[in-house]
Amino acid sequence: MPYSSLFRSEEMSLIQLYIPQETAQPTVAELGELGLIQFRDLNPDVNAFQRAFVKEIRRFDEMERHLRFFDAQLTKSDIPVRPLTGDIRNIHARSAQEIDDLEEKIIEHERRITQMNDSYETLQKQYLKLTEMKFVLQETRVFFDEATSRQDNIRNSFDEPTAPLLEQQDLEHGSESLVLHHLNLGFVTGVISRAKMQTFERILWRALRGNLYLKYVEIDEPITDPETDEVLEKNVFIIFAHGKELINKITKISESLGATLYPVDSDPNVRDNNSTEITSQIEARNSVLQNTYNVRRTELLKIAEDLNIWMTIIKKEKAIYHTMNLFNYDSGRKCLIAEGWCPSNDFDKINQALRNATDQSGSTVPSILNELRTTKEPPTFIRVNKFTVGFQEIVDAYGVAKYREVNPGLFTIITFPFLFAVMFGDFGHGMLVTAAALYLVIREKKFEKGISDEIFATFFSGRYIILLMGLFSIYTGLIYNDCFSLPLRFFPSGFQWHGNQTDAQQIGVYPIGIDPAWHGSDNFLIFTNSYKMKMSIILGVIQMSFGIVLTVYNYTYFKKRLSIWAEFIPQMLFMQCIFGYLVFTIILKWSINWNERDNNGELVHSAPPGLLNMLIYMFLQPGVVAEEDKLYPGQGFVQGTLLFIALICVPWMLLTKPFIMRRDHKKIRSQGYHNPQMDTTRVSTDEDNEYGGAVVAEEMFEVEEFDFGEIMIHQCIHTIEFCLGCISNTASYLRLWALSLAHAQLSSVLWDMTLKPTLGMSGVLGTIAFIIAFTLWFSLTVFILLLMEGLSAFLHALRLHWVEFNNKFYEGTGRKFQPFSFKLILKDDDH
Amino acid sequence: MEALYFNVSDGYLEGIVRGYKSAILNTTHYLNLTQCETLDDLKLQLSATDYGNFLANEPSPIAASTIHEKATQKLVDEFKYVRNNAMAPLSQFLDYLTYAYMIDNVILLITGTLHERDTNELLERCHPLGVFDTMPALCVATNVTELYETVMVETPLAPYFQKISVNDIDELNIEIIRNTLYKAYLEDFYDYCKRIGGVTGELMSEILEFEADRRTINITINSFDTELSRDDRAKLFPNLGKLYPEGHMKLARADCLDHVKAVVEVWVEYRPFFDTTLNSFGGAATSEAKTLDDRFFEYEVHLNKLTFQQQFHYAIFYAFLKLKEQEIRNILWIAECISQGQKEKINNYIAIF
Repeated sequence: MPYSSLFRSEEMSLIQLYIPQETAQPTVAELGELGLIQFRDLNPDVNAFQRAFVKEIRRFDEMERHLRFFDAQLTKSDIPVRPLTGDIRNIHARSAQEIDDLEEKIIEHERRITQMNDSYETLQKQYLKLTEMKFVLQETRVFFDEATSRQDNIRNSFDEPTAPLLEQQDLEHGSESLVLHHLNLGFVTGVISRAKMQTFERILWRALRGNLYLKYVEIDEPITDPETDEVLEKNVFIIFAHGKELINKITKISESLGATLYPVDSDPNVRDNNSTEITSQIEARNSVLQNTYNVRRTELLKIAEDLNIWMTIIKKEKAIYHTMNLFNYDSGRKCLIAEGWCPSNDFDKINQALRNATDQSGSTVPSILNELRTTKEPPTFIRVNKFTVGFQEIVDAYGVAKYREVNPGLFTIITFPFLFAVMFGDFGHGMLVTAAALYLVIREKKFEKGISDEIFATFFSGRYIILLMGLFSIYTGLIYNDCFSLPLRFFPSGFQWHGNQTDAQQIGVYPIGIDPAWHGSDNFLIFTNSYKMKMSIILGVIQMSFGIVLTVYNYTYFKKRLSIWAEFIPQMLFMQCIFGYLVFTIILKWSINWNERDNNGELVHSAPPGLLNMLIYMFLQPGVVAEEDKLYPGQGFVQGTLLFIALICVPWMLLTKPFIMRRDHKKIRSQGYHNPQMDTTRVSTDEDNEYGGAVVAEEMFEVEEFDFGEIMIHQCIHTIEFCLGCISNTASYLRLWALSLAHAQLSSVLWDMTLKPTLGMSGVLGTIAFIIAFTLWFSLTVFILLLMEGLSAFLHALRLHWVEFNNKFYEGTGRKFQPFSFKLILKDDDH
Repeated sequence: MEALYFNVSDGYLEGIVRGYKSAILNTTHYLNLTQCETLDDLKLQLSATDYGNFLANEPSPIAASTIHEKATQKLVDEFKYVRNNAMAPLSQFLDYLTYAYMIDNVILLITGTLHERDTNELLERCHPLGVFDTMPALCVATNVTELYETVMVETPLAPYFQKISVNDIDELNIEIIRNTLYKAYLEDFYDYCKRIGGVTGELMSEILEFEADRRTINITINSFDTELSRDDRAKLFPNLGKLYPEGHMKLARADCLDHVKAVVEVWVEYRPFFDTTLNSFGGAATSEAKTLDDRFFEYEVHLNKLTFQQQFHYAIFYAFLKLKEQEIRNILWIAECISQGQKEKINNYIAIF
């Protein structure tokens, strides 16, 4: 069997595997490395937690949780995890024993880390307390000093409303040092997080009706909360209040609001003693903390070495058991039965993998593979490489091809960059794009390893598309003779123009593309517009006709003879009679020399007729063409005939297929076949068909009831869509011209506005102006013309493929082949 | 007209909430959940739903309370996301939703303080949606005036507190405080919804009226054989709802369940509540007798579900919160049944969709 091309997806087979239970795990591991089988779920009715291998999965989940814990710890301590090196194929568990060991190791590590974290945390908490205490002592000293010196003010604030002046004076005679005791002033000191300070103050004020004196100071050093590892900003506060009740209340409020209270002695000497004591304690704690930290770090470093390997092993194991959950047991529960899709070409590889697994595990019972016949629709598998994958993605984004359907991905490789380039045609811009893409392509090995930026990853994955887009843009740029909106003069111009004349003299033909002499001429736009517009139509009609031709490949492959002459032929005729004819007249008009004169110097032809009007009058006045509008003799008759053919095609498309299908159906019915019951094609080489293999039953093949009305409606929609689509799609291709025009104009405006004026300047000023203008011009070129315009051209090219081209032949109703592959699973997890 | 402008400021959030709503567990999910043998199975089963791996980092064996806590956390996160993105007047509406939780938290704290529980422990048990800055200071106050003046005066609950007639904090008074606050809250919220008007007003008044009636009935039933006088009882009834005012007068005089039943049966919608033979409101038909509370919840779910039938209104935000809360209650119920081996009662949850 030949390997499939991009043209059609690979042939798939439904296979059944009998895997002896003891070798099941290594076998599935081997298949996972191979990545060629998409397993089917054989117990869809069984709940996730009732499946056979839930216990194992849960065990790995638990191990994964430990590993995530390590990972979190590592990030917290800023230790980088050693990246995986070498082939991930080599990283796998070889035996159940190894898994057990690993689990033990992980649990041991976790126990140690948790233990260390706990002690570290306790230490840190103590340390925190001490530091806070230190700050409290430090800051309160200031408060106390202030309080002693300003006792009058404090007292005033207490007594002001009621106290008679005389008494106040009396008090002022009292001993100053004893003021605090004298007023029976108690105080509370503590630390509270700065965010809560305001609330705290407000509540205290209200609760004590203002009978307090609160001072606070911000701690400059941020304090780390050992539990959450958050850095908190805290304030030291001291509250003076009057009476035991109030002090109690303050204590209660402070505690409930999360403040930590630190008792401070009112005697300054004791305070000083405390302060020195605490400083020494802090130092002692500091060294212990440092030690614990170091031990913990060494432990974590050890883990960082292996973490990724463990993670890979566990992910693989988990995937294996998840896959095994899809399998079925045979009657004796001796082996597992698996079913899945695989490419028919790869039987050998799968057999080899099965043999390897059996050999390695030293089992005597081999696994058995057999192919099942089925009526189910296989998944679509198209082999891609790094070059084609991007283009295939473009197609898949629209819809995955039906199994063995013609895949537009193949043609997209050329048509997509080409249509892009038609809109983006500029030699210089194309060069820049190509250079950028080439850089990505050449350095791809390096980039592949780690791209974190999402936008860059998008560009990187489309590097080959961009490369081709750039190359094609260079080509179309040559044809348009545009390089950053300026003409290129590789060859001498074919026109000669003497300054005082209005017309240029033609002396030759420019070898490639548009003659540079056109640039800057008054009628340049008129000329290029007409040229690009016609070119868009020609390209569009060719691409759409090609799409219609492709239906034939589908019809013959899927054995739908009827559709060829009931759909393909009328569609093709319709298309060619109207738009094919338009293309013909465009080329005809190009090939006539409208300036040709006869011997008498009279023009041979009348003024060139407008093709748009010609097309309109072809419908409005069939068969009649005014004499002055004629392109060729007999035009009226030809057009009339073409229109007649096109009109015939409409009922042809609409009616033939449904009626022929009905006739065939009736014939079958009259021969006595009713509701054909397809047999369930229960295939299994297993002898005991009661359970075991029989459980692997095929679902019944549903035969659709023949419903003429439905088919008719479907055909009707299809026909209308095609006929209207032909017209609107052709018009839609005019976007090629529109975008190309926009691109050319934008780049010429950019040139005229920035760089061009500075070219004439001279001297230092001119140089500076040139440098500024050049940066401006270049950055705008990159950002507006390359990125924005490029994106817009890309999207329009995408649309032309998805809508105008694909809807002619492509169904795109398939589902993608998703093999069980470790490579894919690990890649998914990374993102 | 409101339909025209609704999407300008609230369309995004309505979309978000409808998305959240579609993540609410349906009957199939519950069926799967009830089949679980252990809480680890439940965890596995929940991870297949929109809850995702919200429990992935919890070590097994897992406790029912952890599941409850995490599920609530998820709801709170969702609600906060909506609240943070809301513009007036939706933001105000959403704030109103949190007031109910604030009341609960206030009551929880003062009850706890009365019984001299540890403050931190109490704070942990508070509903995260009803947390406000000055809340921890509640445990300082010893009477209502102090409570009001110290803490409540700057919260949105302040106007409700002014309506409290009692001053001392004791067992009975706490109930009175709770019900007075709730009454004031319901009346205020009801007025507010009426002011918003439109579909919101329509749907919300329906829901709030039921809420008020439920409270009225509950207050009546719970006040049998207590010191609460009939007049005091009548004062606690929220002045809205279908039972207001005739029903209130009659309920104030009722003194046994049969009286209540006789009074309430006049209202057709409420008749099934006391009818032990009926299974209505589309709840899961179980053979076991349902408690009155279950029936209330069922009806509430029914009302909340109805709000999703209309567009361009705020009631779905309320409904989403309530339905999700019911869902968390259900999950907790199932989890408790599993962990305590009470499998026969496991079906007593209230299915939502």
